[in-house]
Amino acid sequence: MNPKQMQKFVLSYLQSTDCHILEKGPSHVTVKLSPAADRALTNRPYYWSFVDRTGAEPETMTFRWIFEPPGENSAPETPGLSPYMIGSTRVIQDYVYFGSGRLAQIFESVGQAGKNVMLFEEPPKGPGHPLGSQPYTAWLGANFKVGYECDMKREELYGMGISLATGIIDERFLEKLRDKRLTPKLPSNVHLLRNGLSLRKAMTQLENHLERKLRNADFGWAAEAEERRLDELARVGQYYEPMIERSATKEQAEALTARFNQRKEEIDWQYRPRVTLSVINCGIFHLPGIE
Amino acid sequence: MHSEPLQQRSPAAEPAEELLPTEAAPLADAPASEAEPAVAAGGRAAPAAPARKLHPLVDLYIDRSPFEELERRIERNGPWDDWGLYRMAWEAEEARRIGDFRELQSLRLLPGLTPLPHQLDTALRVLYEMRGRAILADEVGLGKTIEAGLILKEYLVRGLVKRALILVPASLVLQWVRELSGKFGIPAVAQKKAYTWGSDIVVASIDTAKREPHRSLLLDGEFDMLIIDEAHKLKNKKTGNYQFVCDLRKKYCLLLTATPVQNDLSELYNLITLLKPGQLGGEGEFAANFVADRRVAKNEEQLQAALGQVMIRNRRSDGTLEFTKRMVANVPLQLSPEEQNLYEGVTRFVREHAQAERGDMASMLSLVTLQREVCSSRDAVFLTLINLSKKVAPDSPLHARVWELVEMIRSIKANTKAQKTMELLESIQDKAIVFTEYRATQDYLIRYFKEHGLNAVPYRGGMNRGKKDWMMDLFRRRAQVMVATEAGGEGINLQFCHHIVNFDLPWNPMRVEQRIGRVHRLGQTEDVRIFNLCTTGTIEEHIVHLLHEKINMFEMVIGELGEILERLEKEEPLERKLAKLVLEADDPGELRKRIDGLGDSLLEAGRQFAKERDR
Repeated sequence: MNPKQMQKFVLSYLQSTDCHILEKGPSHVTVKLSPAADRALTNRPYYWSFVDRTGAEPETMTFRWIFEPPGENSAPETPGLSPYMIGSTRVIQDYVYFGSGRLAQIFESVGQAGKNVMLFEEPPKGPGHPLGSQPYTAWLGANFKVGYECDMKREELYGMGISLATGIIDERFLEKLRDKRLTPKLPSNVHLLRNGLSLRKAMTQLENHLERKLRNADFGWAAEAEERRLDELARVGQYYEPMIERSATKEQAEALTARFNQRKEEIDWQYRPRVTLSVINCGIFHLPGIE
Repeated sequence: MHSEPLQQRSPAAEPAEELLPTEAAPLADAPASEAEPAVAAGGRAAPAAPARKLHPLVDLYIDRSPFEELERRIERNGPWDDWGLYRMAWEAEEARRIGDFRELQSLRLLPGLTPLPHQLDTALRVLYEMRGRAILADEVGLGKTIEAGLILKEYLVRGLVKRALILVPASLVLQWVRELSGKFGIPAVAQKKAYTWGSDIVVASIDTAKREPHRSLLLDGEFDMLIIDEAHKLKNKKTGNYQFVCDLRKKYCLLLTATPVQNDLSELYNLITLLKPGQLGGEGEFAANFVADRRVAKNEEQLQAALGQVMIRNRRSDGTLEFTKRMVANVPLQLSPEEQNLYEGVTRFVREHAQAERGDMASMLSLVTLQREVCSSRDAVFLTLINLSKKVAPDSPLHARVWELVEMIRSIKANTKAQKTMELLESIQDKAIVFTEYRATQDYLIRYFKEHGLNAVPYRGGMNRGKKDWMMDLFRRRAQVMVATEAGGEGINLQFCHHIVNFDLPWNPMRVEQRIGRVHRLGQTEDVRIFNLCTTGTIEEHIVHLLHEKINMFEMVIGELGEILERLEKEEPLERKLAKLVLEADDPGELRKRIDGLGDSLLEAGRQFAKERDR
């Protein structure tokens, strides 16, 4: 994400969460947050529970976000920006850049606020068949994150979809959605095909499909991690085993064995190769056609 | 039924008979209950139980909680999220994705940080060669904290570390918290109350941590990363600290120390055993293979090779680090007759009084302070005299003596040292920091400079952090001169200035070193010029002689001094030793001889240190 993309991202976030943009420049924005964004970003759980309980009119916070890292000259330890007032509103200033806590918070927030959707593609403009109704197929779209972990880690992302009517899987489903006009409302003159697949089963099939892909990947990294793990295990073994053997009392042997086991667990924890498959978000997409 | 909720809500033409019999019994899937997704125990990243094997070596873990949420929402007919936010959640994941096992991710998140090459190398070696368990043993001042911060940040960004525990001496807790949050954007919390242990990243004093009730709490938990600063304090494996650290459950671990070996090779062995038991063989093997004598190693090459796998020690002398030179000049000056008169008067007073106070060390020391203050400014000594006069009974002869001295002060019209400093600053024509030991002198100097058209800003220990930052900023942007009473404390980086004037000198060499260290540090691009003002014929001359000519401390390698002093000061701080010498010596010649003797023992400690270091 380059600085320009990041700025665009933040602005669309503000828009999507109905924030009120007071003023905007080439590299900054002054914004009064919406209640939703305020809850997500200002870390004021007590205030919001007060508002929720009393029904008081919420007063959201106003920020001025500067889309650049703090300058070279200002020592990083010093809080370089102080709040200022517009009328009776206190405006808090923040540097927002890739790596800033604020952006991390926004990332976190979109993860929470963009978890599940139910959408319909808008039918092409112009008069369709006056009497005919367009058939729509329901798709389960799911975005996955795959983590390859040992003492190191890397990740892959997959945006796939499966037709609930036929079970056909589209590996580039998310990409295809990008150019479509989607709306939360069911368009007129549209009928939904019946599903041939339960949601659960569809999800399992998507997971299985992805799993098959993963099985065919290169596991060299895992073999190397396993080698490291065995190497480490051998090292602690040659340290503890003779000590345990030589120990004078039973208690001593037990204490040493406990410690030995702890070290072995730590090594396992650190090195044992594993793959995690997690759903980032998912939704139901009704698209024209019979697939 | 969860299989067909779409139709139930949709106003579409299809009637409810669409429920498909084939879907009546979903396979092995559990019903979409409210059951929470498996939560990792103890903060481990992976869900608790693997779903199945993906490969003989690799377990597969599945977390489909957003899908379970989708099922619930379908059942309840919403609410549905915004399409834009849905796509942005993906974009956010894409932006944060760890595309590669090795490529350093943390740097692109830290635009404000430019690590030095040796710091970056160290971080990479720890991450990828040492597998996250290492002793960082750089010499003082090379940035061990930066290296540790980089490593921690990288693991955090990769999601390999969630919980981290950082154990440091109590005096460094806040400094660590500030460095981690300021330089690395790591939200570390200083341990204060019991509940702070619940935070993901906690900085705590090791002495607190090892005591109950904290101890059990920590031993029950597990930490993805453990960092221990000043780790040489763990050298003895019989101590509670050592056992405690050994018992903590940890994945990655960093031990930071500038002095991995202080007395004994077995100390190093113990440290490494904390990190990687068996790295140097069993205890017996280590002794047999590598130890010739307590302090002398054998099979040096093999030992170095084995150490190299767990320990990184960057040295100044490695040459990759560019420290500029220090250039030291003494600026001798003669007190005016009136000032000299006062000095003599105070010296006489101190001697007589010291005879009377013999035995009471505290008041003897404060007497020597009087003598030092005269060398700084009449303002400094004036204040102390006034305070002294308040303490003695009005009718005692002492009272009269004090007022005699005060009268002498009144006769002084000019401060020779201040004049000299003014000349010096005019010739420097560049930013300079003037250090003094005394508040009164500081105030006087700022006034004096101002009267002579020179803008100077003050800096002292009592200022709060905000004010300190403000003063530093003023100095950087507006003023030619800063007059400071305090050199210690972190975060004072004055690399933009490379002239230091020691208006008077502390008797504690570490404090002199701290003064210079503010300016002469990594990042300083110019040679640093140090001027020591020195009033001839006073005790000041002796001190300058000791520190400059005798032990040449001004040009000593940064960081060594502390370690040398630590050896020498076991019984008594140097400052006190000096004060005693001054009071006990009968004449200047005698004093010089004794001070030289003290210098010799410092030099000897230095030689001893160098010998061990180079081993």
